[in-house]
Amino acid sequence: MIDRREFIYRVGLTGMSLPFLNAAAIPAPTAKAKSVIYIFLAGGLSQYDSFNVEVDQDVLGKSTILNSNVDGVRVSNYFPTLANHMDKLLVLNAMKTNQGAHPAGIYKMLTGYNPRSSITHPELGSWINKTLTSEQDSLPNFVSIGNGRAGTAGFFPGQWAALPVQDPEMGIDFAERNQAVEEKQFDKRIDILDSLNSDFEHLYGTKDTRSYVDTYASSLKFMSSKDIDAFDLKREDERVVNMYGRDEFSRSCLLAGRLVERGVRFVKVNLTGWDYHNDLYNKFPANANKLDKGLSSLLTHLTQKGLLDETLVVVSTEFGRKPGVNPNRGRDHHPDGFTCLMAGAGVKAGQIYGATSKDGQEAAEDALDVTDFNATIAWRLGIDPNFEESAPSGRPFKIANRGEAREELFG
Amino acid sequence: MRKIFQSVALLALVCVSAPAFADSQTYARQIDRIVSKELKRLDQEPREEIDDYAFCRRVYLDAIGRIPTLGELDRFIADDQPNKRARLIEELLHSKGYNSHWYNYWADLLRVKQVGDKLHHPGNFSEWIKESVRSNKPYDEMAYELINSSGKLYEPGNGATGFYAREPMALDHLSNSVKTFLGMSIECAQCHDDPYADWTQQDFYALAAFSSKTYLRVDPLPEEEKATYAENRAMLKQKDFDEWIVYRESVRVKHAAIHGNGTGYMRLPHDYQYDDGEPFDVVPAYTLFGDMPELDYTVTKEELEKAKHQNFGPGINSRQSLAEWMTSPDSPLFTKATVNRLWHQVMGTELVGPLGGLSEEEMGEHPELTEKLVEILKESDYDTKRFLSALFNSRIYQSKALALGVEPPTYVLDGPVVRRLPAEVIVDSFLSLKTDTPDKYVATEFKWDAFTHFYDKSQSMGVEDFVDYSIKGPGRKAFHVREEIEANTRNGDLGPKDLWRVSSYRHHDGNHEIAVLMGQSNRDLIDSANREPDIPQILYMMNGDLEDEIIDESTALIHRNLEGVKNRSKRMAIIWKSILGRTPKASEKKLFAHAEGDIIWALLNSNEFKFSK
Repeated sequence: MIDRREFIYRVGLTGMSLPFLNAAAIPAPTAKAKSVIYIFLAGGLSQYDSFNVEVDQDVLGKSTILNSNVDGVRVSNYFPTLANHMDKLLVLNAMKTNQGAHPAGIYKMLTGYNPRSSITHPELGSWINKTLTSEQDSLPNFVSIGNGRAGTAGFFPGQWAALPVQDPEMGIDFAERNQAVEEKQFDKRIDILDSLNSDFEHLYGTKDTRSYVDTYASSLKFMSSKDIDAFDLKREDERVVNMYGRDEFSRSCLLAGRLVERGVRFVKVNLTGWDYHNDLYNKFPANANKLDKGLSSLLTHLTQKGLLDETLVVVSTEFGRKPGVNPNRGRDHHPDGFTCLMAGAGVKAGQIYGATSKDGQEAAEDALDVTDFNATIAWRLGIDPNFEESAPSGRPFKIANRGEAREELFG
Repeated sequence: MRKIFQSVALLALVCVSAPAFADSQTYARQIDRIVSKELKRLDQEPREEIDDYAFCRRVYLDAIGRIPTLGELDRFIADDQPNKRARLIEELLHSKGYNSHWYNYWADLLRVKQVGDKLHHPGNFSEWIKESVRSNKPYDEMAYELINSSGKLYEPGNGATGFYAREPMALDHLSNSVKTFLGMSIECAQCHDDPYADWTQQDFYALAAFSSKTYLRVDPLPEEEKATYAENRAMLKQKDFDEWIVYRESVRVKHAAIHGNGTGYMRLPHDYQYDDGEPFDVVPAYTLFGDMPELDYTVTKEELEKAKHQNFGPGINSRQSLAEWMTSPDSPLFTKATVNRLWHQVMGTELVGPLGGLSEEEMGEHPELTEKLVEILKESDYDTKRFLSALFNSRIYQSKALALGVEPPTYVLDGPVVRRLPAEVIVDSFLSLKTDTPDKYVATEFKWDAFTHFYDKSQSMGVEDFVDYSIKGPGRKAFHVREEIEANTRNGDLGPKDLWRVSSYRHHDGNHEIAVLMGQSNRDLIDSANREPDIPQILYMMNGDLEDEIIDESTALIHRNLEGVKNRSKRMAIIWKSILGRTPKASEKKLFAHAEGDIIWALLNSNEFKFSK
């Protein structure tokens, strides 16, 4: 008698997707990063009020400059805590994208492709989930924390989408069997379900029905995972909890840290609200403070745990803001020359890479396209950016579109 | 008692004739002929016709958005009078369930949502859509009213204004309107010439000129502010912050409005980069295609060029011309895009092309069929019920669903495809297992909320009353809460929330969490509902509320229907029919030995329950 949970699991495996052990996608031995924590600042972070202060004075608006703990690296006055962690961060000051509207910009940043009404591309996290998941992993390898776009699997089967955690305090609802149902009974239920679904699959199977079968399999595996307590922040050491504080974004970073400690490959943490078209200098500081404290705590935490060497932490946003402050005392969208950050996994920390022109109008030196940014992340995880996967239509796609890894960002 | 009720219902059904829909049959046959001609040409076998069970489930799902209850299914199966399918279609299209289901559809398309940008509550907008569905307002009228809406945001009946209030940015609003009503993407041209289509940025601005200077203002207009409200506003600001806020917010509820009706002119953006114009150049209104309506300009382009950059000229009601142009039956896109949408909703395939990615010329894989459907919608005067009735009555709709695999047949427009049910439909289907009246609490009339209710009260309030209200009032935190409570009293009994359909959850009730889990649209973008599984959704299905609400709840309809039934096979038939809308297959008899609760759990979790087939 075969174990029933294993049986439905095999239905998943023998379905269309055959997700694991894709020879071409096995990480190269050169992989230096095991996990990625991807902090996404939806709305468009103002680079000139944060980490790109090496521009003309009038571009900085009301922001002032702080020295950091690294000579030659300076930040705005809104990031006093991070100023003491700049030795762990690489500042990418000449990021470029071709999108100037939010939905398209976010889509481009997270998938590497321009949005099309004909196809949805998988997010970077979904590619990594699909490529690096092995049979031993009991936690999903793509988790998205906080409000905002969770993380679509695009044309991949739905099982490779992000596991969304809306609120870091809530953990994952219904991860335990209903109290009224005994384990044996639950197994019987899975038996019946198996039988019904196999029959339906035979008559009406599509990519979508198989995706459901696969996701049931992943969910069962998740339920029985020994690592599921990683989602419970109450289990964290009190000193660590205190270091992070009570802010929701900080707590999300704490959860991200706990998840990579258990081997989760890609954790996205959303911090939205950066779209300050008006009244920037009244609205920006509160959000900046969240990032300042949360990211600083995360870097400290990962360093203390010895995880920063194998965890690539990135901070990204869909585009930057214009060098000029508009009449509403805000800044409008600016795709040419914005700022992202990287830390860990051997990145050349304590440096600035790339520069905008002094008037802040354009990426002038060592420009880094968002597709190259994504390719670099993939490469550092040991995934070949040229590896292709086919959409159901047969069209080939790559993890970072035509992006190329910028290997010189690492030492 | 139940028996008597059933025969009365049956009698009522027999008596229903459908003179208003006599043309449905004619249209349906026309559709079938066109499709079958194409199948012959391609030498492709017609699909099998579905049986009454499959038809009943399918038409309940597509027409009213939930599975039939056991009683509804049995009643239909037992009906031995002629034309029973046609009669069921008419009955469903005129039921409250239809109002619920199609409200969800339009509310998604029109993205009814609380956006934090300005004081703006979408309740009145939502009510306007509900009323439009209830009264079966022709779709072209609906679209026209949305594009041409103006006036007070919270005036009951004027909720179409919510469509403009929804979008803080005028140009985004235009892109979204074009995508919504014409099924076309022009958002690229908002910032640059579109390399993939013919539209230039100048074209975009010319179209935007029709609705230029249309805007949401929540405060009174400057003259009224000065004459009426300013003095007390200043006084309260000095006196007490909380009172000042209540004054501001309550005055806003009365005065929030969409102003401006288009000046017929736009100005190019300050960073305009092409040779055919300079930044801030005046651009007169011009349509993307089709006839150019005549506008009553009172200033010429040359006169306006001499004025300041922010001067767009006086209002000349050009927005009305935009509404006429956009919803005209002569438009190469309006009717086609609507047909494409409705077809997609019912059949699951693209008749013409992607919902938001059509072009003027595109007619889809089978132009003759597209033409016919366009003709039907026009002849039906954009009555969507009549159009749906034609589709539902067609032989192609009533044939076996196609599972789209790696190698689909050449022609896929000969019937529906297998697809997951929309989020709201899954959740509402749970209701069909809990109660024999799942549509009972779908509203039949306007429902008040804090905003419309206070607006109504404010009609007799002068400035002194506002001051009085602010000083002796509830304080800013309780302001909306208090009005909401009064509005609810005014609404009367809305029934227990756990027996509401998803459409009855309004904005102040919060999101329907389970529908969100199932992939309900967040209404940020057009068509952003999601039909994919994820782990939280599956965990809910396996371990969540269904246990307490259905599987293990003896008062749930499914268990009440089992009461007193002794025979095992009969019990199983009841369970299968209740959940899957069919009797068990011979191959499924081996499952009968399991505990009933476990079987119910498995059927609810099965793909067959979640998919339409």
